[in-house]
Amino acid sequence: MTTPFLQIRGLRKTYDQVVAIDHVSLDIKQGEFMTFLGPSGSGKSTTLYIVAGFQEPTEGQVLLNGKSLLDVAPNQRNIGMVFQRYTLFPHLTVGENVAFPLRVRRRPEAEIKAKVDKMLELVHLGGYRDRLPGQMSGGQQQRVAIARALAYDPPLLLMDEPLSALDKKLREEIQFELRRIHQETGVTILYVTHDQEEALRLSDRIAVFSQGKIEQVGTGEELYERPTSRFVAGFIGNSNFLPVKVEKLGSGRARAVFPNGQAVEGDASAFASGSDGTLMVRPEQMRIRPGTAVGQELAVTVRDMTYLGDSMHFAVQTPWNQELAVRMAVRDGQGLCIGSSAVLEWDTQHGHVFA
Amino acid sequence: MLLDYDRLGFWRWILVAIGVVVMLFLLLPILFIAALSFGDSQWLVFPPPGWTLQWYEQLLTDPVWLNSLFTSAKVAVIVTVLSVVLGLLAALGLARSKFFGKSALQAFFLTPMVLPVVVLAVALYAFFLKLGLTGTLTGFVIGHLIIALPFSIITIGNSLQSFDPALEDAAMICGAGPLEVKWRVTLPAIRLGMFAAAIFSFLISWDEVVLSIFMASPTLQTLPVLIWSTLRQDLTPVIAAASTLLVAFTIVLMLLASLLKKGTRS
Ligand SMILES: Nc1ncnc2c1ncn2[C@@H]1O[C@H](COP(=O)(O)OP(=O)(O)O)[C@@H](O)[C@H]1O
Ligand SMILES: [Mg+2]
Repeated sequence: MTTPFLQIRGLRKTYDQVVAIDHVSLDIKQGEFMTFLGPSGSGKSTTLYIVAGFQEPTEGQVLLNGKSLLDVAPNQRNIGMVFQRYTLFPHLTVGENVAFPLRVRRRPEAEIKAKVDKMLELVHLGGYRDRLPGQMSGGQQQRVAIARALAYDPPLLLMDEPLSALDKKLREEIQFELRRIHQETGVTILYVTHDQEEALRLSDRIAVFSQGKIEQVGTGEELYERPTSRFVAGFIGNSNFLPVKVEKLGSGRARAVFPNGQAVEGDASAFASGSDGTLMVRPEQMRIRPGTAVGQELAVTVRDMTYLGDSMHFAVQTPWNQELAVRMAVRDGQGLCIGSSAVLEWDTQHGHVFA
Repeated sequence: MLLDYDRLGFWRWILVAIGVVVMLFLLLPILFIAALSFGDSQWLVFPPPGWTLQWYEQLLTDPVWLNSLFTSAKVAVIVTVLSVVLGLLAALGLARSKFFGKSALQAFFLTPMVLPVVVLAVALYAFFLKLGLTGTLTGFVIGHLIIALPFSIITIGNSLQSFDPALEDAAMICGAGPLEVKWRVTLPAIRLGMFAAAIFSFLISWDEVVLSIFMASPTLQTLPVLIWSTLRQDLTPVIAAASTLLVAFTIVLMLLASLLKKGTRS
């Protein structure tokens, strides 16, 4: 096997007593859009800043094309970076900001001019060369920052929550542009965000961070369909968590017993780690139908219902008084109203049990 | 706001009146001196019976006055350069590092501002007498620098405060080495603060009289010292001319400083 493009090996960083990250390991392929997703304080920026060279790890190694990055000074790493705050140089025009890394590299004037034009075209800011950063909106400034970070064709682009200061509409617009820029340039991107929707929209793969560790790495679909921990299930998408006891039945079967004694049975592999814990089902994987429950069917009461245009949202109450969220197509919700009794169902493969 | 100017009604006229009185109080002596410097009365009669430029002519042809003017300018320029450079280094150190006793050091840097100048002057005089620095250019420069430096540190420190260090990270990841980052990004971003520090430092040295009296020798004195010592011997309108020049130059620099302040805000 060839060596991975970027290898993060057992990174650990402590500040006095605080462990910022611990045992962070990850391989990133060339051209990949990799996102670090996690709540604030989970160690995403710390990991990114170690790759950039602004922080030194307490332990661990970072290899680019098999060579250690840690021995290289940040200004020699030839990495591009876009920051959370606006970091355009206020005294330089947009054009000079983009030219900055090229001037530092003492490139010939003609090459600089051509490259600046090309980069400003790339971020659709062709006519803004002579503006000062102070005369541009936040979204435009971040686009210039992207142009500046890519002007010297770095093999790796780091982005630390670059869109978090922008409003939702602008954020989505630039997310769209980022995808296009990623496709056009083929640059490898390490992207940090705490916004799961943004991560799903942009990334080839996502590394979910929690308390300084990577919980799970995978494509958005893998993380959503097959979360390996309760944290990942809760962080990506909406989810219902039902308290259960798991009993093995032999011959590859198992069952999850709810607090009221009722149970669902299924393939043992569907019950993942299979012990006492939590059964997670996505709201859109659950169904309710009017009527009273018979046998092992779960009886619920509709507590609330909301029309959302493309779907219907229900809040239902279980026999053990837990409120669950159910989302269904509008026509499937016919015949239900607040207060009515219903039967709750889902396909067993959509139930995930976590310890 | 509670004390909105537009809502003060009758009271606002009282405010305006007080303002005018204070302004006259501050301005009249200066206007008075300026008028006398152009008056042709040897005895400083006011209002002047006629007008003349002869006092300026005397001032600018007398080698003693010219020398002191030159000394003042030389000291002020050297003090300005040193004050900005040292102020920048101190402000950078204070803004960018965390160490034990940082706030104590910060307070220490500012003591010359709160210490009575005359106390400082006596202490320096006694000290410089031992070192043989009184009556030398070095003595003047060090003395003025001690008074000017706190202003530089504060002014440059303030502009560093509004400078985001993330800009330096951005420049560094773009490929700039540590010195190049300072030169291409940090210094240009705080240049207005440095200009302001320079103007303040120059003015402080240019106007300084208490310390200078202690530092001066008969052969080396600054313009304010010469004005003061001449005043004690005889009352000639040349003093008025010298004072007017001093004030005029100060006003020009103050205007420059306020223009720069406007520049930072826009
Ligand atoms: N300079 C620092 N000193 C002390 N603790 C820090 C420092 N920087 C980060 N931390 C801690 O490290 C942890 C991870 O921080 P960070 O990587 O910034 O998280 P994220 O980017 O995911 O929000 C947090 O608990 C934070 O408090
Ligand atoms: Mg962060």
